[in-house]
Amino acid sequence: MAEESNAITLDEGLWLEILELTHGAATPCFQCGVCTAICPWGEAREGGFSVRTILRDAQIGNLDELETLWLCSSCLQCEASCPRGVPVSEVLGSLRYLLWRRRVNLHALPSVLWSSYWNNNPLSQPPSARLDWAAGLDLPIFDPTQHDWLLYIGCTASYDRRAQDIARAAVKVLRAVGLQFGVLGVEEPCCGETILRLGHGPFFEELARKAINTFDAFEVERMVVLSPHCFDVFKQHYPQLGAEFESTHITQFLDRLITAGRIQFVNGERLKITYHDPCILGRGHGAYDAPRNILQAIPGVELCPMDLEREDSLCCGGGGGRMFLETPPGERFGDLRVQQARQSGASILATACPLCIACLEDSMKVVMGDRLPVMDVVEIVGRYVGQV
Amino acid sequence: MSKRHIVVCMKVTPKPEEILVDPATMLIQREQARSEINPPDMNAIELALQLKDQSDARLSIISMGPPFFEPYLRVGLAMGADALYLLSDRTFAGADTLATTYVLAKAVDRLGDVDVVICGEESSDGATGQVPPGLAEWLGWPLVSLAIKAELNRSGTQIIVTRDSHGRAEVKSSLPAVLSVKSAANQPRFMDFDLKEEAFEQVPLIVWGPDDLDTEPDQVGLKGSPTVVTGLREAEVRERRRQRLEGPIDDVVHQLIEILDPYLRTP
Amino acid sequence: MLNPTAGYSASEEKQEIWVYLEPGEDALSSVSLELLGKARLLADTAGYEVKGLLVGYGLLELAEDAISCGADAVLLVEDQRLTQFNVEAFTAVVTQAVLEGRPSIFLVGATHDGRDLAGRLAVRMQTGLNADCTDLALDPDRGILVSEVTGFGGGIIALLECPKQRPQMSTVRPGVFPLPIHDPKRKGEISQLKIDLPDTCFQTSVLKKEEYDLVDLTQADVLICGGRGVEGNFDSLFALAQDLSAEVGATRPPVDDGFIARERQVGQTGVVCRPKIAICLGISGAFHFIVGIEKADIVIAVNSDREAPIFDYADYGIVADVAEFVPALNRALLERKEHSRV
Repeated sequence: MAEESNAITLDEGLWLEILELTHGAATPCFQCGVCTAICPWGEAREGGFSVRTILRDAQIGNLDELETLWLCSSCLQCEASCPRGVPVSEVLGSLRYLLWRRRVNLHALPSVLWSSYWNNNPLSQPPSARLDWAAGLDLPIFDPTQHDWLLYIGCTASYDRRAQDIARAAVKVLRAVGLQFGVLGVEEPCCGETILRLGHGPFFEELARKAINTFDAFEVERMVVLSPHCFDVFKQHYPQLGAEFESTHITQFLDRLITAGRIQFVNGERLKITYHDPCILGRGHGAYDAPRNILQAIPGVELCPMDLEREDSLCCGGGGGRMFLETPPGERFGDLRVQQARQSGASILATACPLCIACLEDSMKVVMGDRLPVMDVVEIVGRYVGQV
Repeated sequence: MSKRHIVVCMKVTPKPEEILVDPATMLIQREQARSEINPPDMNAIELALQLKDQSDARLSIISMGPPFFEPYLRVGLAMGADALYLLSDRTFAGADTLATTYVLAKAVDRLGDVDVVICGEESSDGATGQVPPGLAEWLGWPLVSLAIKAELNRSGTQIIVTRDSHGRAEVKSSLPAVLSVKSAANQPRFMDFDLKEEAFEQVPLIVWGPDDLDTEPDQVGLKGSPTVVTGLREAEVRERRRQRLEGPIDDVVHQLIEILDPYLRTP
Repeated sequence: MLNPTAGYSASEEKQEIWVYLEPGEDALSSVSLELLGKARLLADTAGYEVKGLLVGYGLLELAEDAISCGADAVLLVEDQRLTQFNVEAFTAVVTQAVLEGRPSIFLVGATHDGRDLAGRLAVRMQTGLNADCTDLALDPDRGILVSEVTGFGGGIIALLECPKQRPQMSTVRPGVFPLPIHDPKRKGEISQLKIDLPDTCFQTSVLKKEEYDLVDLTQADVLICGGRGVEGNFDSLFALAQDLSAEVGATRPPVDDGFIARERQVGQTGVVCRPKIAICLGISGAFHFIVGIEKADIVIAVNSDREAPIFDYADYGIVADVAEFVPALNRALLERKEHSRV
């Protein structure tokens, strides 16, 4: 006699698959739910995002919540609060590979991967145009015998017109301080971060190995990186794959130069600036002070903290591969963030990540209220840097 | 019902924005340009894989080209194809569509048990769209072009194709048949990394030349091409003009209509 | 596998340019007329005749139109089974007509059906086919058709000839050549051809045909996109789209605001399109939108902000309020339609 039952039949094969994909990282979770309570989706979305359920499912080898896997923007709020140290966003990223394997719920994401494969960037832009942003700048190609540092631009700053301004500002600043640096130009490999966050671990590894080969061929030992996203994979993932180069985010780099007295600023204006901590730079790498030090080194700058800063910074919504996924209106973290920026009393919203800039500028346009300019710290430095 | 045999024709094309012409020799300089699988052929492989998913079928890729095509064609294997045939010989080079479709048809003929051949709508270099009908003609098979979906009937004797030519239609065709797939009609699945190693390291590349295909020397390559190129030059690079149309709005819209007129003619 | 049929050689050809006439909704398709116009010009340089080949059912009036547009004669093949296009059957018919008539040149409009027909025919006749030509010329001394084609996404221009095989075939896209003048006083001969057409020529059949009202922006030739600057007034864009046979797309903000359906969102997270014309109204030009239209042949941008980034991505930029621009464009289009009726 068949009876209705709420019991789930567990699939041993799936359980094993998940264990392998996550390297057992979900095991320590004891279902306290802090992750779910603190996840920004709880504010942004009806029903929030039950991270806890996904972790539980991962532990027992069940997977119902396939669609919500895409919600995670890798903001690391959950990881920062998890009492068991579970690398939650990594677990979610690994679980995304189940979708790739089964070819379900992939939206338009295969085209992003194909773009990375054929074009060396996830943005469907021509590889031969990777250095077009630098037209007229006469940038030297990195030569280990002449250059101390590689300036690593990344795909977003190479191709996104708004982000290209950051790249140009970086060049201006590095030249102003007399740094001997080069770029890789059209040979610059994509770091693969987008692919990693979108959950295709094996393809990420392939891209990373290719990138490492290119860096080795150019004999790169040290690089300054514009995007925290690229910086993160170079620091956290590339060493396990054999990379030996050192990478520094440009804000850390500039902070050191300022401390060493190698940058002078010229400014007569009063600037009230509020600084938004990018998730990766902040919670990911603890770099809260460097960007603030840089801003405060400019005469006339007054920092106006906004709500939820530093460890509590609210994600802009652009991480975790979400730049390639659609977020319905009213559910965008950035919308809330710009309100917080407006309430800080500042007249400029500063940040240090090209994806944050894209998301925050978007929200600034959409949400009624004062239009604060959104600027990268590098752009602000570029504006006020004097010749040394 | 025995296993169906589906064949996909693939071409490797240079990235259009990287093509240069040597003004001295009037030859296309392909070597400097990065290559990719002809994007419409990706849609073709995807349709073929969808057919393979729904029926008991195996999928072979055929391609006429030089040896450097190999790593690109293996991408098709990593997507789920089973076998790979490169139709390659010096004498095949310089072929126009007549000579190309001849060689492709000879390969299908040699395979012997093919139920359906699937091609991309056109290629990003020549963009002539002639391969599908030309191939169908050599084989003496019906053609259904601009397919967006296809399904074999239960007995595998017919194929039902949804096509999109200024409106959707469902067309039934006897088998064997040739299909062309409408560009961007589907989303090509990404490579299956569980298959990738085998696809790139283990599946043999079968190369067929004139002897294997039993081709007539005067029907392949340059010799077999009725059309000849008598002139070649680079077109101006298409940067956006960034021109502003100024003046009172009524003048501006008239100027605009003049500019748009050649583009506005409907088929 | 096909055994090549004996065709005819250059020495056996008749000095005629044939144009394949494709029926449209209730008249000949515009590309057929455009080709008649061009054929007339080419023929006049070399003293050739222009003949139209019309295949279908109940098409006498269309044949008369072809004469008025430049044909010296029209060869008509009528059979009820040919009411709808069928590539195998039409190829069989056209082959017989061409083998009998032996024209030097055979031009076909590069429509979907035209491409399929020309592709099959060229192989059946073992002749060359120059596809999607952007120009044609006739060398009267050699009797050779010189075709100009572009390749590699428009980056390369090539000149092609078919010196030996016949007929010399080229396909031409709609809109490349101008429409000829319709002169009802022109005289010409319309003759019915008797063609052998066994039922076995029909190997495919159409089961269902749907009216095209699914939103598929990827196939739009003309795309009008509206952004925040449209201020929700998409009705005016849809009306404009009617006049331009266009589809309407949008950026994310108006979709978010509920002014237009999400299937019409164009861009990185929406639809990526390849129209001939992209008209961007009230759009600032954020990168993720641009990705959706950057493959357009021509981009027009209208924005009241002189510094809007969209202008960097456009061929022609107009600094204006969308609310002023759209009615002005409507007026101008109306005038144009009235003038062309005269």
